[in-house]
Amino acid sequence: MPEVIIDGKSYTYEGQYKLLQFIQDLGKEVPFFCYHPSMSIPANCRQCMVKVGQYIIDRESGEHQLDEKGERVIRWFPKLQTACNIDVADGMVVHTQETDELVRRAQKDNLELILINHPLDCPICDQAGECPLQIQTYKYGPEGSRFEVKKVHKPKRIQLGPRVVLDAERCINCTRCTRFTEEISKTHQLTITRRGDKNYPTTAPGLEFDDPYSLNTVDICPVGALTSADFRFKARVWEMNQTPGIDITNGKGCNIDLWTRDNLVLRITPRFNKDVNGHWMPDKGREAYRLFNENRISRPLQILDSEQILSSWNNAIATFNEQVEEANKKEILVIGSAHASVEENYSLARFSNLLGLNQPVFVPHIIEGTGDGFLITDDQAPNTNGCRLLGFTELDQKSIKKAVKKASLVILLSDHLLDRGVLSPGDLDGKFLITFATNHSDTTKRADLVIPITTAAEHAASYVNVDGRIQRTIRAKETKYTNRRLDLEMSEGRLDRYGTNFDNWVTEENKIDCVPVWSFISQAAGAQDLDLVLNEGREIMDEIASVLEPFEGVSYHLMDEQSGIRLHLDTKEKTKT
Amino acid sequence: MAYEFTKEDLKQIEEIKSRYPAVMPATLPVLWVAQNRFGHVNPDVQKLVAETLGLPQAHVHGVAEFYTQYYKEEKGKHVLDVCTCLSCQLCGGYDILHYLEEKLGIKKGETTQDGMFTLNEVECLGACGYAPMLQVTNDQYVNHLTKEKVDKLVDSLKNGEKPQYEKIGMPQHENI
Ligand code: SF4
Ligand code: FES
Repeated sequence: MPEVIIDGKSYTYEGQYKLLQFIQDLGKEVPFFCYHPSMSIPANCRQCMVKVGQYIIDRESGEHQLDEKGERVIRWFPKLQTACNIDVADGMVVHTQETDELVRRAQKDNLELILINHPLDCPICDQAGECPLQIQTYKYGPEGSRFEVKKVHKPKRIQLGPRVVLDAERCINCTRCTRFTEEISKTHQLTITRRGDKNYPTTAPGLEFDDPYSLNTVDICPVGALTSADFRFKARVWEMNQTPGIDITNGKGCNIDLWTRDNLVLRITPRFNKDVNGHWMPDKGREAYRLFNENRISRPLQILDSEQILSSWNNAIATFNEQVEEANKKEILVIGSAHASVEENYSLARFSNLLGLNQPVFVPHIIEGTGDGFLITDDQAPNTNGCRLLGFTELDQKSIKKAVKKASLVILLSDHLLDRGVLSPGDLDGKFLITFATNHSDTTKRADLVIPITTAAEHAASYVNVDGRIQRTIRAKETKYTNRRLDLEMSEGRLDRYGTNFDNWVTEENKIDCVPVWSFISQAAGAQDLDLVLNEGREIMDEIASVLEPFEGVSYHLMDEQSGIRLHLDTKEKTKT
Repeated sequence: MAYEFTKEDLKQIEEIKSRYPAVMPATLPVLWVAQNRFGHVNPDVQKLVAETLGLPQAHVHGVAEFYTQYYKEEKGKHVLDVCTCLSCQLCGGYDILHYLEEKLGIKKGETTQDGMFTLNEVECLGACGYAPMLQVTNDQYVNHLTKEKVDKLVDSLKNGEKPQYEKIGMPQHENI
């Protein structure tokens, strides 16, 4: 097997690798800026210099040529090489900064050059704390600068587009952002203007950087040159906790990270998953952080004397049970939701079946023509396939209107049917509407009883994306009834560990008074002496896996291990997505 | 102002495109076609080039911005690029520059009111052996400058005469 010697250690390999990627895969490091594993390699930052050579093999004997001390003779490349674009080859000998003074020196000098015109404004820069330039300089850079004259000044605070702000002075011209618009989002909106020490990225004159994926350039910019117009100056990186989650704004289920501080989600960034979204996500999915913080329903709401008022949980449970008991079973309509998780829909279905009500129906939220074949889908909901696999009947607008007409009590899971025009207020005249919901809307305003439930940021639950991949979320923010200290699955940030009570997570209003659907249903069932106990997502998924064939073998453990599991979708169903 | 290529330009552009396997490499020569037609490639002209070639506007903009020979704004009819890099500087490049500033009544980087001349200070043009020198509108070099030579140049340009290409010998060929 071919062999390569890096810093005196030999590694065998198969296939084709670029040296930098190979070294990274080994868990070792060479500093770099412009290289990105899913884009072309321009090798323009020159930071990844290493010394590369090859053992000399005697042609006649086929043996390694030895020097007088008996050591193998190496023929070095006459100059240092950039590790990012050189192919690993059999018999290659590599010295990185760990073993070679020349390499250390080259990397240090290159950093000194890059920093000549860099403003060094880390204390006011958003990127500080997650900045490759800052980290690399700290580890490999020079201690000071010998540059004592005025730095080149370039445009600052340029609104490149609605969501991205440019500080050209911080830019190190790695071209990652321009390559992103050329190779990944294919909008070709960015280019580098001018040259030499005056160059920086920009759009064509008069055009906006309104790429639907524009914020990815903020993620990959290795310095603070591109920042998010929305997130700018909101928080320092080290104040936030980072929790893995799933994008719930469309059917793709992009893997994301939720960044929380004081029980508010402050930003959303993509998390790598090679089978779903690679390194990217659409800008729209990042907007969803507002759904978790703003306009939330906290405490149950009930209509009393034609006015919606805050109610208590006891009242809510009593009203819920009263309505279900009093109504003619044939006149109760249970509606599931593609906007809710598999576990939530399943809990509702269990309850419904136990009482002999209908197997929940659902109305897919698909808007034809909005998808782009990349990460934006026609499907506006994260769990359409989950509902299908649970065996829920798919209704279109006409049939749901008909079904509602026949009902006297409608139990609706987390779907704003009025807001999205599926039902009109007239359809609900004279009906009692109970809805489980996370955010206020016209639909919840009309509801006779609103049960506030947890969002994807507050519960662990799974969603099946358009390709049939089931993936799950993790609790990122507390509700009134959860506790970060007791919940081992919730991530801890630096402030959790080192903050005082005053700068820590103390704002009570940021915790929403809501419960997961399954705990409300368990309580309601308990009050009716029904045998239904649903504890938490993990257990519910185990139950689903044991009773429903499409979910066979699915567990949180396996989902975590494999970053989601591809389920078998009925081919007939699949053509419909 | 709306810019448009003439029929002949478009024919020439087609011919240029046929020289390359892809459209992108045609950007440079087509920018020249545009600059020869309009005297500059300002953002509107860049847009015209991008649309004519079916390329992203940002790409054409980046290319035009990279090369100083493309004029990104309207310039005088004649652009005088006076070199003040090392060799020219030592041989009086600044004297020539300042003489021209006085003569034309403009500062470097400016254009005369009649739109006849733009004066620039530039870095090395690779003619250090014939310093001091200047270049006329991306084209002819005028070497071994003296004030008299500058006077003559300005007059002849005003009369619509372009300077001749100068042949300068090499010491090793003993043909100086
Ligand atoms: S703005 Fe950032 S990503 Fe773009 S070229 Fe500059 S440093 Fe690179
Ligand atoms: S990463 Fe190799 S040159 Fe930039």
